[in-house]
This record gives sequence, C-alpha cells and structure tokens, in this order.
Amino acid sequence: MSAATIQRHLAPAFVAIALLASAGAAPASAQSKPQPRAASTSARPSRSVSIAGYATFGNIFFTATESFDAILGTTSGPIFGGGARVGLPWGGLFVDVGAWRFHDEGERALVFEGEVIPLGIPVDITVTPIEFSGGWRFRIKSMPKLSPYVAGGLTAMKYHESSDFSAADEDVDDTFSGFHLLGGAEYKITRWLGVAGEASWTTVPDAIGEAGVSEAFDETNLGGTTFRFKITIGR
Amino acid sequence: MSLPRATSAAVVAFVALWTAIGHGQLSPAPVNGVMIQDAGLPAIDRGLRDQDPPRAARTAQDADRIRVSNGDTLPYVRGSIIVKFRDDATRTGISSATAQVAGTLADRTSWADFDIMAIPSDADPEGAAAAMRQRADVDYAQPRYRNHAMARPNDTLYANQWNFPAIDMERVWDIQPGASSNIIVAVLDSGMAFRTGTMRYNSSFAFRLTPFGPQYPALGQVDVPFAAAPELGPSGSTRFVSPHDFIWGNELPLDLDGHGTHVAGTIGQLTNNNSGTAGMAYNVRLMPVKVIDGVWDYIFDSPFVGTDDVVARGVRYAADNGAKVINLSIGREDGGPATVVTDAMRYAVSRGCFIAVASGNSRADGNQPNRLAQGAPQIDGMVAVGAVGRTLDLAYYSTTASYVEISAPGGDQRQGGISAGILQQTLDLDQLEIYTRPPRADSFAYEYFQGTSMATPHVSGFAALLMQQGITNPAAIEAAMKQFAIDKGVPGRDDSYGFGLINPRATLRGLGLAR
Repeated sequence: MSAATIQRHLAPAFVAIALLASAGAAPASAQSKPQPRAASTSARPSRSVSIAGYATFGNIFFTATESFDAILGTTSGPIFGGGARVGLPWGGLFVDVGAWRFHDEGERALVFEGEVIPLGIPVDITVTPIEFSGGWRFRIKSMPKLSPYVAGGLTAMKYHESSDFSAADEDVDDTFSGFHLLGGAEYKITRWLGVAGEASWTTVPDAIGEAGVSEAFDETNLGGTTFRFKITIGR
Repeated sequence: MSLPRATSAAVVAFVALWTAIGHGQLSPAPVNGVMIQDAGLPAIDRGLRDQDPPRAARTAQDADRIRVSNGDTLPYVRGSIIVKFRDDATRTGISSATAQVAGTLADRTSWADFDIMAIPSDADPEGAAAAMRQRADVDYAQPRYRNHAMARPNDTLYANQWNFPAIDMERVWDIQPGASSNIIVAVLDSGMAFRTGTMRYNSSFAFRLTPFGPQYPALGQVDVPFAAAPELGPSGSTRFVSPHDFIWGNELPLDLDGHGTHVAGTIGQLTNNNSGTAGMAYNVRLMPVKVIDGVWDYIFDSPFVGTDDVVARGVRYAADNGAKVINLSIGREDGGPATVVTDAMRYAVSRGCFIAVASGNSRADGNQPNRLAQGAPQIDGMVAVGAVGRTLDLAYYSTTASYVEISAPGGDQRQGGISAGILQQTLDLDQLEIYTRPPRADSFAYEYFQGTSMATPHVSGFAALLMQQGITNPAAIEAAMKQFAIDKGVPGRDDSYGFGLINPRATLRGLGLAR
C-alpha cells in the first residue's frame, strides 16, 4: 500500500476518532470553566507520562468470510497477544503498540461453482498483526475507575500460510499494511491493575485475492473485526 | 413280408438312424469364442521390446479388414442402423418408420436405450438413417459406424517412462499414492489381459488385412492360450471387476490385440513392486469392457464388431456397474456424428462417471475429428485428450479441433525415436501379429506405443487420483483439470492443446487461502 493510499485510508479514521472524542468528552480547555452541572465525562488533564503493559485475548471475525470458511471451516477464531500503552502529557492522548496472533489449521480445497471441495491436505494459517495506535482516553467523573477510549492507527499484518507437500516457494510468508480503528473501556481494579473490553476494526486491503480460494471468492481484505479483553498493569 | 426280411429292414433303419445321429455327434457346430480350460501356464515375460523396427501407424485403415468373400471396406456395418425413437412415439409411428426403410426392429439389447433396426443388406445405412432423422418421432438415427483403437503402436521400465516425471508424478504420488480399490476405472477397449485360460476359436474364412495385402488362409479351429498380464494383477483377483465383452457377448473381455492391455497399464500398472513399469493410479480396480474388435476377433468372426451402438452399450454398462472413470482410447474418423455414444456419455456422467476420450490421431492424415470425442465441450465431466511428445510439444499425430480440452503425454516417436513412446506391459506383439498361425495371448512384453490412446489413460488415472482426493463430481474434475492445466501454445484455450498440459500435482494440492 502506498503512503498516499494509507493517508487516504487514515483520514476518515482520524475524523471518526475526533468525532467520537468530541461526542464523548468536552474539550480539556472547557473543563476548566465552571459548569452549571458536572459534565458526565471529561478528559483528565494530564501533566505526566503514564506507562502500562497489557495482555489481550479475544476473537477475530475475518472480513474474508468465504475464504476463511473454505479453508478453516470457520470465519472467526481466538486471538491472544499483548502490548504497551504510553499516556502522553496532553490530556487523554496516548499511543499504543500491540500485537496479537491468530492461528488455525485447515485443509486445502477446490472451489467449483461456489461449492468448496476439501482435499484433505493440511494447511496452517497464522495471522500476526502489529498495531501502532494513537488515541484518546476519557474520564467519567461519576465513574472515575472507568476510562473509555478510542484510537486508530496503522496495522502491519504478517500472514503465513504453509501446507503439507509444499515446495519452498509455495508457502506464503508476507507482511501487508492496513489500518485499524478501535474503541473500548478500561476499568481500574486497583491503581496498577485494570481490565478492558475493546472492539477493533481492521482493514488490510489487497493482501489476498490474487490466488488461492480468496481469488475464487474475489475477497481481497485480510482484515476483520476483533472483540478482545485486556488485562493491564501500570498507570 | 417275412419275419427275417422285416427284421433286416428294421436293423437297416436303426443303423441308418444311429449313423445319422452319430454323424451329428461327430460333427458338432463349430465352437467359437468359448473358454475350454480355466487355467494355464504362467504368463511369459519377454521383457523390454525397444529394438523392434517401427510398425505401420494404427489409423482408421486398420478397420479395413476384408473378407475375401465380400470385399467390404465400409466404415459402418451393413444391414442395420441405430434408431432412438422419442418417448412419445406410438406403435403405429414405429411401424411406419420401419416400413419406410423396409426394416424390422430387433429386440432391444441390454444397456441400450436405443434400437437396432435391421434394413436390407443392400440398402445404404447412411441414407436410411437420414430418412429416419427426418421423422418427428425419431430422436436420432445413425449408421452402425465401426470404431478402432486410437494408438500408433511402435517398438523400444520406470526409468524408461519419461511421461511420468514429465507431469511431476513422483511428487503427485507423495500427495495421492495411486488412489485405492474404491475407485473403479472402466477401460472400454480391445479387452484386457486379465484372465488365464484357453479359448477355442474358429477361423473359418480367408482374409486380407489391407485391400491389396496378402491373403491369409482360414486356420480352422484353434485353441488360444491367455494369461493375466503380470503387471496388471493375478488372474481371478479382485483387481478386475465386472468384466464384460460386447464383441463376443460374454463375460470374458480378453485382449487379442494388446491395445486395451497397454492402456490399462498406464492407468493401473502395478507399481512399487520391483518389476516392470508404473501406472498413474496403481491401486484402482479395473473394469475390462471390450467394445472394439481387434484383427484376431475379426479373423475368428466375432458376433459383434466395435460399432457405435456397441460402444454406447459399453459406456452404459460401465456406468451401471460402478465405474467412476471411463477411459475411451478409441474412436473413428469416418462417418457422421456418434449421437448414440454421446447420449450414452451424458448418461454415464449423470451417473457420476468421469470420461476421458482420445481426441484422435489424424493430424498428419487429414486431421479428421474423432467422432466419439466431439461431444466433449458440451458435456461437463467428459474431456477430449490431445497428446504431447517427450518435449511436451504437440505430437505430430494429435488431432487439432475445437473439441480438444486437455493434453497429456502420448508420445511422439518422430521426435525422439522408439523410446519417445509410452512404455507399458502388454501382449507380446510378436506372438500376435503373425497371421499364418494361431496367436498366443499369454506372452507379454514392454512395448512403446504412441497415440492419443496413450495420452487418454493419463487423464483417466489423474481423474481417479482426484476422485480419491475427494472430488467426486465429474464436472468439478473437468473444471479442476482445466483450471490448473499448464497453458501451451497460443495463450488460453486452443485447438492443439486445449486448456493445456495436465498438471496433476497442482490440481491435487488445490488451493490455500492466499495461494
């Protein structure tokens, strides 16, 4: 994907993040002004850097449903991973670097008039995205332990496909770029320990579809929607 | 009449009657095509025959055997035609039709949804069939065209089988090792060396093999020893299933020609047995169905010859008796469309059979189409197979036509000598092709043959491997073969190679998600 393409794809994402942020929270500057009633949410002015690490697990629902179903017999599967988040000293702004992994085994197939014919030849598929995100955390005054957040960013999607009886050049080991949008909420159980629920939408266009069953189904996007839980340690 | 005279007369009458009966017993009707001993000596293996001089190419002229008595060289059988009446045809209408050509309808034979209409022996079968086709109550009608083997036998073990490495079969067998006995491949051909025994035949007329060739005398009653080809499997084993002979009308489709046994070898030669040659799908079961007559069947005056109706019945028989793949390394260039065969092919495909048929060997001889292959583009689940040589270029004989769909190794001995043919075990031709003495069908050799007949069993074996891998729909097999074929010649489908050279490994591996 070219830089221009990424920029074109990212533009609506940042617009969406901005809209979500403006809908969910008053600007930080306005919060300093007296209000007739307490705002339901607000971004807590932050003057320091905070760091947290997390472990994540959940489920991904792939966009290329027919292709994944043809090979793996399912369009979704479990994921697990981890990452780190750095809160920046400007309001709720934070950056995040995370990675997770999906792995499943299926069998190679033929597609004839839309019908999938499994061939009994084992195939391993591993999807490992690395997500570079920037986002905004909100603070709900009435629920100080709960922090909703939205974010978006770039995804480097590593895709590995290997089959029995493959020659060296017949397996796939490639990395594709895309972007993602996510939103969720973190609940602080203690000062240092929190749990979060998060939904993320990832698009990795033109990663597949030139061969394999994805070509037969004319599916080109390696992205999907993930629902995941996080356990965070840090502030 | 006195008593002694009456007694004498009675004795004379008794002796005369006894003599007449006895004479009948001493001169029974000639025995022909009957197994007289269901056992025999072990097969003779004469090994690799790669030094024999080239033989005359086998083409349509091979069917031009001539009885010295009538001199017929017609591409069809006189005295009858094939007629398929529509389901709504009335009895009156059928009577009117038969009267139109002064014909009579014989009882319908087994494995046929069509009728054989006898017509006067001096009537023109093509004219009579044309007259029938004009009728509204007739679906189709055609002469009983004769078919022949599509091979060009020529004379030169796995190292000699260039054809299998050429299509990457060693890596294919890693994925799918020779299919299994669940897959039955019917070989509709000149028969198969599948049984040991001795057959008694009667050679009752002098004959020529070519119009101006030498005349051979009748041999009288002869006993012909048969043996199962050692590289196909033991006689009486479960390797062979539902054999049927439509040429002799029995369950003994024995090969008196060598073509069918060679073709069967490419499909299912015993492999990894430290002996002889390999086959594509070496674990399948073979169904020998004899639908074409060889020279010796002709000499022994078989009751039927390889006409379209016989081939059609063979196709239906195979489909009704569990065949999953039907190999037709046969055909004809003469005459009109083979509607009766095409109809039977549609029936077989509807029963889940995949059909591979030779595209023909006539490119160097006028490039006339193989009439049996012409229906292939209209039938999803049947492919017409062209041939490539050792260089994987089109073989000089491989017919080019719009119906050619796929190509496979068939050999080209003009571009590589004897050993550029396809090597399999078959009947020892030295024991078959001397017509002044009875043949032996218990002696075997490894012979190089070339022809689309030899390319076709590669595709049949390939289909058997695909079926074992889980692709049971004949149309899906055809589509997969075309999808993964290695494009040759003009980009895309062309009349020479069809969609290209078969690519069994890529097809059997199928598709991953991204590759």
